[in-house]
Amino acid sequence: MPDLTQAEVAAMASAAGLPMTPDDLVEVTHRLNAFLEALAPLAALPLDAAEPVPFNVVPIPFGPAS
Amino acid sequence: MTTRDDDVAFMGAAKLAEMVRDKQVSPVELVRLYLDRIDRLDGRLRAWITVCREQALEAARRAEAAVMRGEPLGRLHGVPVGVKDQFDTAGVRTTVGSKILADRVPTEDATIVTRLARAGAILLGKQNLTEFAFGGTIRPPFGQPRNPWNLDHDPGMSSSGSGAATAAALCAGSIGEDTGGSVRIPAAWCGLVGHRPTWGLVSRKGSFPLCWSMDQAGPLGRSVEDVAVLLGAIAGYDAADPLTSRRPVPDYRAALAGGVRGLRIGLLREFVSGADTVPQMRSAVVEAARVLEGLGAVVEEVSIPMLPQAGAIFMACADAEGAALHLGWVRTRPADYDQGTRRRLLTASLLPAAYQQLATRARAALRREVLAALGTYDLLLAPTGHRAAPTIAESTSAVKNREDAAGKFFTRRAYSSPAALAGVPAVAVPCGFDPAGLPLSLQLLGRPFEDATVLRAAHAYEQATEWHRRRPPLGSITL
Repeated sequence: MPDLTQAEVAAMASAAGLPMTPDDLVEVTHRLNAFLEALAPLAALPLDAAEPVPFNVVPIPFGPAS
Repeated sequence: MTTRDDDVAFMGAAKLAEMVRDKQVSPVELVRLYLDRIDRLDGRLRAWITVCREQALEAARRAEAAVMRGEPLGRLHGVPVGVKDQFDTAGVRTTVGSKILADRVPTEDATIVTRLARAGAILLGKQNLTEFAFGGTIRPPFGQPRNPWNLDHDPGMSSSGSGAATAAALCAGSIGEDTGGSVRIPAAWCGLVGHRPTWGLVSRKGSFPLCWSMDQAGPLGRSVEDVAVLLGAIAGYDAADPLTSRRPVPDYRAALAGGVRGLRIGLLREFVSGADTVPQMRSAVVEAARVLEGLGAVVEEVSIPMLPQAGAIFMACADAEGAALHLGWVRTRPADYDQGTRRRLLTASLLPAAYQQLATRARAALRREVLAALGTYDLLLAPTGHRAAPTIAESTSAVKNREDAAGKFFTRRAYSSPAALAGVPAVAVPCGFDPAGLPLSLQLLGRPFEDATVLRAAHAYEQATEWHRRRPPLGSITL
């Protein structure tokens, strides 16, 4: 995925109603591109069985009490 | 200030509690000692936001009277401590290190504050932190906390004041908050012991949130014993935090005895041998592994391939939660944030939801890998971070490009965030010094709710080494 440009980040921020100074825009663009580069490889991991929950899931005993 | 005063100030919470109980030192004497040290040193260290001078002296007088009357005493009776200014204190302002909340005065105590008081501890004050407990503040609104080992260096984030105050003996111990390393990193950089408890062991009620699914209060102390006593005081179920566990809280201090004989410890290959780990850190942790083997543990190398990605996964998960919390203020009061915090929140606000969801799933997969390793090993051993404390100039420098951003934000957090992502306990313990005289630190991770095992192994290592006995060179501090 190519890096986001400052113009693209500015458009995203504007659409989201987020105020940004010109200096913010430069740095946020670097940070966002770092995120996208670091996270993209996760898509290749075998995550099908990884439930997107933040904790260890303890089975809840649904159904009639025994 | 006499040598005896210095020695007493550096004794730490556990020993001071014994001395108060045995009438070797009075709580009033202790509070005056620490207030005097704060007056002399904190103008440079900037570890405190609010010092509760009169309240602490009044509490000390009451504590002293209780000792003299022979009343039953709590485990921290008469011991002066500090808490990160992220925890609510009734009638005492709680700023969370921000301009936005600079005048906020809560009406109730956080549960950890109530429990410290119930254990007899005396609240000296509220400690400085990076803004809203996010790391990366460029201009801290309440002054730049400095590392007592070298004032040009960062004391760590986000519990920066808790690290600096405890290391400089401006209190007997502290409670910080560790979302992804914010207790362990200041402990590591300041030559202290810092413990991130199992998620759900300590109440979050009254702790200003960064990330509800990973925030966890934890103690910083001069020794593992100090941390064990502090943890015992704050741990346990709280009806006001429905995600705390109802498990009984063991006596962590009593559980320190017993050593490591027979424990199986996995040495995390990705962090010990990884390219980001500086050679002196690698050597110190490998040497620590030998010490633990010498004490009877079985140490083997173990690999968790996802670990290097943990920093980015953590930031995607935690910052998304933080961004949601701050969205209103970011839109309406952007200039009231430090630029570092604002840019971090803006970035997280713009990260595509699909990537955040991908990170959440990767978090679950990483948690599974960490818990699988802890199925084979009792503990996992790694450096707490890839290097010793950076300079403040390095920590606050502008982000130059994408690679710089990745190095600044993901690399360090890769080491400390796996415990947070997996919800397991982890303790940071001093394990050496680098050539510049800055502390090095190892961390031990354990199974959920086996905090006692983590602390027991840390105690065994600590008692077999001398690193925790060194004191920072405070004589060089002039106001």
